[in-house]
Amino acid sequence: MVENFLAGTAALFGDPFTVAIFVFGVIGGMLFGAIPGVSMLTLAAILLPFTADLEPAQGVMLFAVIYCTGTYGGAITAILFNIPGAPENAPTAFDGYPMTRKGQSGKAVGAAVLCSAIGGVASALVMMAATEPLANWAIRNIGPPEIFALVFFGLAVASSVGGRTIWKGWMSVLLGLLIATIGQDPVGGINRYNFGFTDLAAGIAFVPAILGFFAVSEIFIQAEKKATGKFDAPKVGMSFPSAMELWMHKFAVLRSILVGFFCGILPGIGATLAAFMGYGEAVRWSKNKEEFGTGKLEGVISSETANNAATGAAMIPLLALGLPGGALTAMMVAVFQMHDLEPGPLVFYNSPELIWIVFAAMFYANLSILFIGLIETKTILYLLKIPFQFLAPLILLLATIGAYISRGLVLDVMVMFGAGIIGFLLRRTGYSIPGIVLGLILGKIGEQNFAQGMQMVHYDLGTYFSRPICTILIAAGALTLATGVYRAFASPTNKA
Amino acid sequence: MNRLFGIGVAATMMMVASGAANAFECKVKEASMDKPGGFPERALTMIVPYGPAGGSGQVAAAMAEGVTGLTGVAINRDHKPGGSGTVGMTAYMASPADGYNVLEHIDDASSAHALDSSKPNPATDLIPLVISQVTFSQIYIRTNETRYNDWESFVAWVKAQGGKATIANVSKEGSMERVTMKFITDATGMEIQQISFDKGAPRYGALLGGQVDALFEQPGDVRKFLDAGNFKPILTIFDERPSVFADVPTHREMGMDFDPLLRFRGFYVHKDAPADRVKWLQWAFQRGYCQDSYQAFNESKFMNVIDSYRDTAGARDLITRSVAQYRDVYKAMGMDVK
Repeated sequence: MVENFLAGTAALFGDPFTVAIFVFGVIGGMLFGAIPGVSMLTLAAILLPFTADLEPAQGVMLFAVIYCTGTYGGAITAILFNIPGAPENAPTAFDGYPMTRKGQSGKAVGAAVLCSAIGGVASALVMMAATEPLANWAIRNIGPPEIFALVFFGLAVASSVGGRTIWKGWMSVLLGLLIATIGQDPVGGINRYNFGFTDLAAGIAFVPAILGFFAVSEIFIQAEKKATGKFDAPKVGMSFPSAMELWMHKFAVLRSILVGFFCGILPGIGATLAAFMGYGEAVRWSKNKEEFGTGKLEGVISSETANNAATGAAMIPLLALGLPGGALTAMMVAVFQMHDLEPGPLVFYNSPELIWIVFAAMFYANLSILFIGLIETKTILYLLKIPFQFLAPLILLLATIGAYISRGLVLDVMVMFGAGIIGFLLRRTGYSIPGIVLGLILGKIGEQNFAQGMQMVHYDLGTYFSRPICTILIAAGALTLATGVYRAFASPTNKA
Repeated sequence: MNRLFGIGVAATMMMVASGAANAFECKVKEASMDKPGGFPERALTMIVPYGPAGGSGQVAAAMAEGVTGLTGVAINRDHKPGGSGTVGMTAYMASPADGYNVLEHIDDASSAHALDSSKPNPATDLIPLVISQVTFSQIYIRTNETRYNDWESFVAWVKAQGGKATIANVSKEGSMERVTMKFITDATGMEIQQISFDKGAPRYGALLGGQVDALFEQPGDVRKFLDAGNFKPILTIFDERPSVFADVPTHREMGMDFDPLLRFRGFYVHKDAPADRVKWLQWAFQRGYCQDSYQAFNESKFMNVIDSYRDTAGARDLITRSVAQYRDVYKAMGMDVK
């Protein structure tokens, strides 16, 4: 492995043009990842035709690098302005933005930079060590029933995040699940709750909903404070997390690497579930669950470690089996095909040099996040010094463009503002925005896999429990729910 | 139903014959055409009702490359996925009918119109510029499968499971996959649970990993698994054996007397677009099909196994026959045909 890695490194840095492509991918991924609605997918779609003129290794490597740095890029705006660049950065905003309000933006961004790099590098190392056996294990042991059980577990854990009471947390998750049912059902394609609007047949898109619930509702809240004289501008904090703080979170990092890797390796799932699951696990293992959502460093660490840990893992089913884990890895298939290659087991035998240059590039791209991210942090934090009356319209404009550009539908802009108003009202009454977003994103994945799982077990729910991984996850979720009910009744503050 | 099958057989024969005639078009050396009144003066927009990474996204990219290579006119692709193509179709119908907007769509548009006539009919509400991919379906099993190894042993095994066998596909109400599977189960008397996946990777992973017992798909989509020796077809749902699958029996050979429904992808313009612009677009897209880059793409996707080309008249014929066939089948299935 080491020999191959060194050969990949030599091939990567031995050619100035390849280095230039690598640097372009690192910076491009970060920039596009940070712009809401545009995302790394937009950059990838723009670049796709141009990769035909590149060497196969250069083209695939470029996309792999964009994937790594783009997954990190959206963390910056999530932390500084409550605008996640992509759904996989949404959990980063849960605690990252409250940290910014408390003057700890530097610490939050620093943690995101460091943990994205750690998660990505760890993932790249495991990817290099055991791509083929891991892919074969995952494909044989993880099917729709297991993915549904994982989502159920995640929802059970995360329902306690961010609400003023446990009941309100659960109500928020249920609202998110209800929103997730808008659109066509995953089995029969029957329209639900579209009220005659064709565009709603596609359901509520994640990006405008997230922009509305996070960014727009935040602007409304700050505007109200400004109007009532209670406005408190976010403080620009430059303190990076200390080595001791990071060491204290070593288990959170390790846990998120495992969670992110596990989610990333599942075909068709990818970094979004990884980020939510990483965050949810941090909550589950914490002794101070109620602190999550109020600006807890561990929240940022967990989600950013997990989503980058998923990037290397998502390459495993792609490279070993030819099964892309998400939209960007699916585009990578097109890059392979442009050069008459097919990802899959044969690529390891036919093009080992291509595989190892890609592995090496992903490793170094994650390291680059560390260095470029730290430089970026020191400059970008000054954006917070822009007065609210200038910053708010700018964020609204950015969010509106982001909502519209992802699908080019006016409906998405309406969804964004609708979510902003609903989010504003719910936040005032103590409901949980993270809970709603969790319900919305995990609900779609969960319903799809539940329906497939039920078909697979011939509508015999009991069969779910004959699958060990499924049983463990459902039992853990049920236990979490039971504990929540107990806490809700035992604590007077949770009864409201 | 027998009458329906009879009509279907005739329709398929005509479709194949019509396709064979149209395939000759690529030999016509008509490499240039004057732009009518300077049209197009700017880039065209192609609305694609599916994501960029799937089969439709790829065919849209390949055709755009072919047309741009031929004419020098850039084509911006605007992906509007959702609702099995209805979101993109609605967006397209609302866009200006000035010839600058073209639509990529698959046979879902025809089946959707057959089920609900208020939805646009691709043969009359739109003008087909070209249909550039026509393909058939097959049923696949794992190559290392030990429980069965051909269609007959598969059917016997499925029957022995008492309804507990599974097949992965992209079935939705009224989809080509679901209708075809009804034909197959009716004809064989077997009962099999269809499991619908909306994305390719989980669908193929389900077969690779043994989560399902078989897969319903088109050969171009699983070519890499065929080339790698992971999957093997045990049934071709087409009237004759394509030469590259010469050792795979057809459904008719296996005693199933139904008309195969084909998967087709094509490009359209609004019927109200100016006639001279439509004529230029027809020329550009039909010649685009003949470009080397597009032909290489189709070949890589097994889309040259049967004739994949239909010009405007051929496309209208294919769509009209498909709509009628779907409508009859839906009524026979007791579905609410509007």
